[in-house]
Amino acid sequence: MIAPRHGLLLVTPLALTLIGFFLIPVLLLLPTSFREYAPGQGFTPGVWTLENYIRIVTDGFYLEVIARTLLLGLLVTLACLLLGYPLAYLIARGPARWRTALILAVTFPMLLNLVVRSFGWIALLTSRGLVNNLLVQLGLISAPLKLMYNLTGLMIGLTHIYLPFMVFMLVAAIRNVPREVEAAAATLGSSRLHVFTAVTLPLSAPGVLSGSILVFVLTISALVTPRMLGGPTYKVMATVIYDEYMQLLDWASGSALSFTLAAMAIGVIWASSRLTKRWAGMT
Amino acid sequence: MSSLAFERLAKSYGGVDVVREVSLRIEQGEFVSLLGPSGCGKTTILRMAAGLVAPSRGRILIGEEDVTALPPNRRDLGLVFQSYALFPHLTVFENVAFGLRRKRTSPAEMQARVAEALAMVRLAAFGDRYPRQLSGGQQQRVAIARALAPRPRVLLLDEPLSNLDAQLRDEMQFELKRLQRGLGVTTLLVTHDQGEALSLSDKVCVMAHGVMQQFGPPEDIYRRPATSFVAGFIGRPNRLKGVVVTRRGGGGLLRIANGLMVEAGHVEVEEGGDAEIVIRPEAIGLAVRKRAEGEFAGRVVLRSFAGARAQVLARLDGGPELVIDLPSAALPDDLAPDAPVAVSISPSGVFALSGRTA
Amino acid sequence: MRARDHDGAPRPLTVAVALTVIVFLQIPVLVVVLAAFSETSYLTLPPQGLTLNWFAKVLSDPTYLSAIRMSLILAVSSTAISLVIGVAASYALFRKAVPGAEAIVAALMSPLALPAVVIGVALLQYYSLTGLRGSLAGLVMAHVVITSPYVVRSAFASLAGVDVATEEAARVLGATGLEAFRLVTLPLIAPGMAAGALFSFITSFDNVPVTIFLINAQQTTLPVLIFSSVEMGVDPGVAAVSTLLILATGLGLLAAERLVGFHRFV
Repeated sequence: MIAPRHGLLLVTPLALTLIGFFLIPVLLLLPTSFREYAPGQGFTPGVWTLENYIRIVTDGFYLEVIARTLLLGLLVTLACLLLGYPLAYLIARGPARWRTALILAVTFPMLLNLVVRSFGWIALLTSRGLVNNLLVQLGLISAPLKLMYNLTGLMIGLTHIYLPFMVFMLVAAIRNVPREVEAAAATLGSSRLHVFTAVTLPLSAPGVLSGSILVFVLTISALVTPRMLGGPTYKVMATVIYDEYMQLLDWASGSALSFTLAAMAIGVIWASSRLTKRWAGMT
Repeated sequence: MSSLAFERLAKSYGGVDVVREVSLRIEQGEFVSLLGPSGCGKTTILRMAAGLVAPSRGRILIGEEDVTALPPNRRDLGLVFQSYALFPHLTVFENVAFGLRRKRTSPAEMQARVAEALAMVRLAAFGDRYPRQLSGGQQQRVAIARALAPRPRVLLLDEPLSNLDAQLRDEMQFELKRLQRGLGVTTLLVTHDQGEALSLSDKVCVMAHGVMQQFGPPEDIYRRPATSFVAGFIGRPNRLKGVVVTRRGGGGLLRIANGLMVEAGHVEVEEGGDAEIVIRPEAIGLAVRKRAEGEFAGRVVLRSFAGARAQVLARLDGGPELVIDLPSAALPDDLAPDAPVAVSISPSGVFALSGRTA
Repeated sequence: MRARDHDGAPRPLTVAVALTVIVFLQIPVLVVVLAAFSETSYLTLPPQGLTLNWFAKVLSDPTYLSAIRMSLILAVSSTAISLVIGVAASYALFRKAVPGAEAIVAALMSPLALPAVVIGVALLQYYSLTGLRGSLAGLVMAHVVITSPYVVRSAFASLAGVDVATEEAARVLGATGLEAFRLVTLPLIAPGMAAGALFSFITSFDNVPVTIFLINAQQTTLPVLIFSSVEMGVDPGVAAVSTLLILATGLGLLAAERLVGFHRFV
């Protein structure tokens, strides 16, 4: 009932904003990634090169950073799944009067500033932080554990940050599993465990996939938490991009890495949506 | 109060013709029903009249004014939606006052008109309630009050009674008729319920597949169906195939299965031609005895008792099964399954039609 | 054997794990609050001495205060702009008033798919080229880009709950398209949009990966300030300002829950 010309008028401001302040800027990164950067002098004029991209796939430093980023993505996603599913199940299938409180308890840390949460983990995980102090006091260890500036610290911190996202996607997925189908399986002889593995889990699989993709992409894109918990030396792709832009001023290399990271994120999302479509066709 | 007219109104979506060239005139103060099965285009016509859908071709006139290009808020119509579409965030009073506010009615006049509208639908004390606090029947009455409060030129109703349970529906039918008579507002009602259409309307327009089948007073629709669709749609008639043997005046003689001959009061097909035959259940008589001259021998298959009326399914010997509808008081006491009966068919209830849908 | 319900309710083990995870989720928050009140600049359990000194220090520090002000300005203005253009676009797209509506919606949500750091560096380069670097307007528009997808998502969810027939009824009763939107649709989507506005506000207020590339030394935002301070060590002043943020978030959440039943929209 809205006239097409009015419709166009309503959509244009947002569309123009995104084109002007999102699409074009991102596309402009591409040419930059093919330039050559001379330290202290800026871009070498008139030189176009694939060197930035080649370096990413051949240089040991970059390969290590990329591998670490992807590994982190995988581990955090797994941890979020294992920790998140029981919680999601409790919210979706537990007593109704607990539901609001539980949802708020999960929402609250999610709304909290990322920097604050990461800071909390620093206070917990440094060598003079709460966890080490506690363990030393209890006599369980004699020297502080190295829980920061390594994979462990990053894993713990990132799992904590992204767990609420996983939980909410899983809640939606579990809600979509009709309880009657589970009941039917039970009457046909399934034990509780079997009902879970044969009915609940497969039927909530699309939601499990969505949640996993979301957490994976968020993890490989993360800048703040890895920087705060990893320090300036333990790097992931986003922090390398930050360094290349802000400290090394090598915008060419930074752009190439940005595009690589962006391509990974979009590639993962695209692949998973193809998978979801195939599953949707099968059920 | 104005008349409402459609001139060769048509609507197509993509390549599909939903409404094909409908021309219709509803006189000032008349109550007309658009009757037909779902998908026949009747709701589309109503929505075009309201201005919610743009016609592909044709004109819509309210009185003398061509409103085809006017947006819905300038047509001065009332529309009662099937789902009532009450504003959930406004009280009953505010719902009914909505149209009056759009017309910048003075507060005093608005109070009076809202009160009047609510009193008309017997909901005078409900002004402060919210729609979610009302029953389905009450919501529907608020929807009617809301549509009528601005005193529109024409009132449109989209299957207003279909969401109500049977008893409420019967009550509301009388209410609607009384309201319409009292106000004298030109009314177009869309429905798939023929009982509703026949009992409420001054004229009925029967539609099928986007085409107008017949337009006339209820008696005409019932007694003189113009097409086999109308004959088959109205009532729940028996449908058979047969051949026209002879024609005499408006009627003639038909041959149905196995050489059984039936007299028909209304024959459209030429002699020797194939016909779609429709026999009204209430035109068939039943008696538990041997058949007399002009009657058919048959056996009872089933009977069902439905309160005021009863139905009997009887199979004519060597012929088809027919549903017979009679007042339950006229049901023979000794009617048992398989009992031999004499079946008489009144020609006024027999139609031989060509099978076209106009 | 005692008779029990077998209706798929969670077993005690599931409940135990779930509640442990809930506690795990709150731990860093509690730690930060503890650190803010602790007298020593390192944390022990139990804390040695409690003090409000850090709060006093933070609330009188002009750097912190101007960072808070900048964050608020950015969050409020970007949320306001996102709401207006986001709701307008969503309304037209939801009612399919433009061709290719579905593709356009997917495109509008695309900022969520791209890593924030990539958006940050892209805008850094773009603003350097167009002279917007360091400008408030540039910052605001960057925040509009990252908050608008949340507004669009909330708008779609809210519009789905409004019966289009109520808009049509308003039109037939004499309302213009704009009036029908203002009098009927807008009040009905308001609660959902309030939740969307809260998400948008928080996204802007908290943002680091885009903002950090675009600010200059004179105007920084609160999270970027904390981020930079932390690079230099665990300072209880940071804990104090973080606690204030926690308080504000908690109150905001409770208010949203009370006013519009926030938990329905998550």
